[in-house]
Amino acid sequence: MRKSINLSIYFTAFGLMLLAFNADASPLDSPGAFKALVCSACHGFGGDSPGSTVPILAGMSPAYFKKAIKDYAEGKRPSPEMEPYAKYVVEAGLDEIAAYFAEQKKQSTRIKSNPAAIRRGMAAAGQCTVCHNPQGEGEPEKGFPDLRGQPAGYLQAQMLLLKEEKRKLQDTTLADLKQKVLKRLSDRVIADLAAYYSSLK
Amino acid sequence: MKNITRREFLKASGIGIAILGTGGEASFAAATKGRRVVVIGGGWGGATAAKYIRLADPSIEVTLLEPSKEFISCPFSNLVLSGVESLKRLTMGYNGLRKHGVKIRHEAATAIEPDKRRVKVGNDYLEYDRLVVSPGIDFQWDQVEGLDKAKDTVLHAWKAGAQTVKLAQQLQSMKDGGVFVMTVPPVAYRCPPGPYERACQVAWYLKTKKPRSKLIVLDANKDIVSKTGLFKTVFKDYPNLEYRPSNKAEKIDVGSREITTEPGDKVKYDVINLIPPQRAAAIAVEADLVGGDKRWCEVDHVTYESVKQKNIHVIGDSTIGLPVPKSGNIANAMGKICAVAVVHLLSDKEAPVIAPGNTCYSWVNDKEAIAVVNSYKIENRKVVQIEQKLTPGKSVAVAQNSLAWRASIWSDILG
Ligand SMILES: Cc1cc2nc3c(=O)[nH]c(=O)nc-3n(C[C@H](O)[C@H](O)[C@H](O)COP(=O)(O)OP(=O)(O)OC[C@H]3O[C@@H](n4cnc5c(N)ncnc54)[C@H](O)[C@@H]3O)c2cc1C
Ligand code: HEC
Repeated sequence: MRKSINLSIYFTAFGLMLLAFNADASPLDSPGAFKALVCSACHGFGGDSPGSTVPILAGMSPAYFKKAIKDYAEGKRPSPEMEPYAKYVVEAGLDEIAAYFAEQKKQSTRIKSNPAAIRRGMAAAGQCTVCHNPQGEGEPEKGFPDLRGQPAGYLQAQMLLLKEEKRKLQDTTLADLKQKVLKRLSDRVIADLAAYYSSLK
Repeated sequence: MKNITRREFLKASGIGIAILGTGGEASFAAATKGRRVVVIGGGWGGATAAKYIRLADPSIEVTLLEPSKEFISCPFSNLVLSGVESLKRLTMGYNGLRKHGVKIRHEAATAIEPDKRRVKVGNDYLEYDRLVVSPGIDFQWDQVEGLDKAKDTVLHAWKAGAQTVKLAQQLQSMKDGGVFVMTVPPVAYRCPPGPYERACQVAWYLKTKKPRSKLIVLDANKDIVSKTGLFKTVFKDYPNLEYRPSNKAEKIDVGSREITTEPGDKVKYDVINLIPPQRAAAIAVEADLVGGDKRWCEVDHVTYESVKQKNIHVIGDSTIGLPVPKSGNIANAMGKICAVAVVHLLSDKEAPVIAPGNTCYSWVNDKEAIAVVNSYKIENRKVVQIEQKLTPGKSVAVAQNSLAWRASIWSDILG
């Protein structure tokens, strides 16, 4: 008897809430979620990376994601962390894991950059727009990454790797172009560009 | 209007109770009957498991037993010895878990009764449908003669906390020209690269602050246990570090400040850091979850259910038998995988097959680090390594990645 009274109280009080609340929804429901559990040690839950040097995966284009994973797995993009994990992703199910991260809502990094650096970066960003588009959104399906809101430490590290030819783009024409652009830039300007793109939403 | 089943309704009413407070116990109990999980230990494995069970299915009642009110990270605690890091920044609270609806009791489990499916806590019993055990390690004091009665002053600092701070003070107050001796226990022990990272931190501190002093590392093992080549290269940066393999600590004499090793060498010290041999924590040993070696617990590689006791899952450093190291990263991975398994098993579903992953960073001075990374797959219900990769050498970039790792994994455990 007491139980049924309780139930009806809840029903009235929370009826509206219950309508909106899907009792069976869990952030782990997507088929790729379980396979992506190991990633949250570094990339945050659902790919929402809280750190400065590890990229945000939430909302990433599946085509770009898969290319990145293949490049790591084949040793074309150097990263001691990602090479073994990329092999794991290929083994566990590339499509499902890519789809899982694509489904997650992207939020820009919570790490704030220095406003002066952001302003200097904005002024220097003109030369990047040919490939990365005016707002840094790129064309991920074609392999040009969306730079917006990625943590500055990660963007800076990638630019330095490319400048020092420790990382090479697969397309040779693009690789040459990228290298020429970056070679002209001082490490300071590279840091400013990283601050600017990381501040974009 | 959506037709809400009784089960769904009860499930959702769990949230109602959280808002209304008391008064709803009857219906809540009905919802959680047959779906109660108790977790022993709120460290890297247990806290993760408790959180992820609630994430995967908030209708399951999860009670976490952890005597400590604070979570203190062992990872990065070696840097407290050198003054590069503070213990405060490694200390966190459990409020994040409470927000996920984990019930926390800051008490120790004193016994497990598998037949009755209950855990003893003081004079009270907690019943469970599934139990997750992640109590970490305990020390085998009796393995080193004289240690048991000297253990208040001869520090291990192998569980981060008060001992870490005390050992840092002993190091700082050592006279320049003094000898700091540390011992490495025989495998298997918590954190294979940990002692060598510690050696680097102590050697770096001495080199910069007390240049006439010396560090002697007495290793019970034949060679450096983890990241061998990388540590050998880094050790060359420290002429003040003397590494002696195959030198197992046998006896400690605090009166004459002398340690005797297995080949019979006697080594004098000014400060001693003796890391004793280890086994699964007492509660796991007393509940007979350990195998023939009486030290470590064997588990199924997919569900982490004990091979000895039904409905009891063991994760973290207490386990052995998988080709994985005793690391915080692995304990966190096991916590997530075990949580998913427990949620499935409580609904009579088969647990999905998920492999863990591991990354261990070691700081070798005040700004550079090295790392080892392992990925795994499951073959015939066994964990098998896909690849192990080491960083090419020490670098600032790797150290920066370790800071990103800790931000991410701490929030994965507690956030
Ligand atoms: C110096 C050092 C450096 C390290 N560095 C790294 C690193 O860089 N990276 C890495 O991945 N790992 C590292 N580790 C290893 C890592 O700390 C452990 O692998 C990890 O803590 C294991 O998690 P666990 O859950 O098994 O145990 P713990 O994290 O130790 O948690 C066990 C918890 O159980 C509680 N407990 C015990 N008995 C009971 C009981 N009867 N009832 C209730 N609660 C109980 C304890 O209070 C404790 O909080 C390091 C370790 C050390 C010592
Ligand atoms: C030990 C930490 C760590 C773990 C665990 C980890 N990553 Fe990464 N990841 C990194 C780092 C660091 C980078 C940047 C590497 C570089 O320099 O290219 C990265 C980069 C990436 C990128 C490239 C993003 C881009 O914008 O180009 C992808 C995709 C990725 N990781 C996916 C994953 C997936 C999927 C998992 C889980 C299976 C995973 N990672 C696990 C650390 C990690």
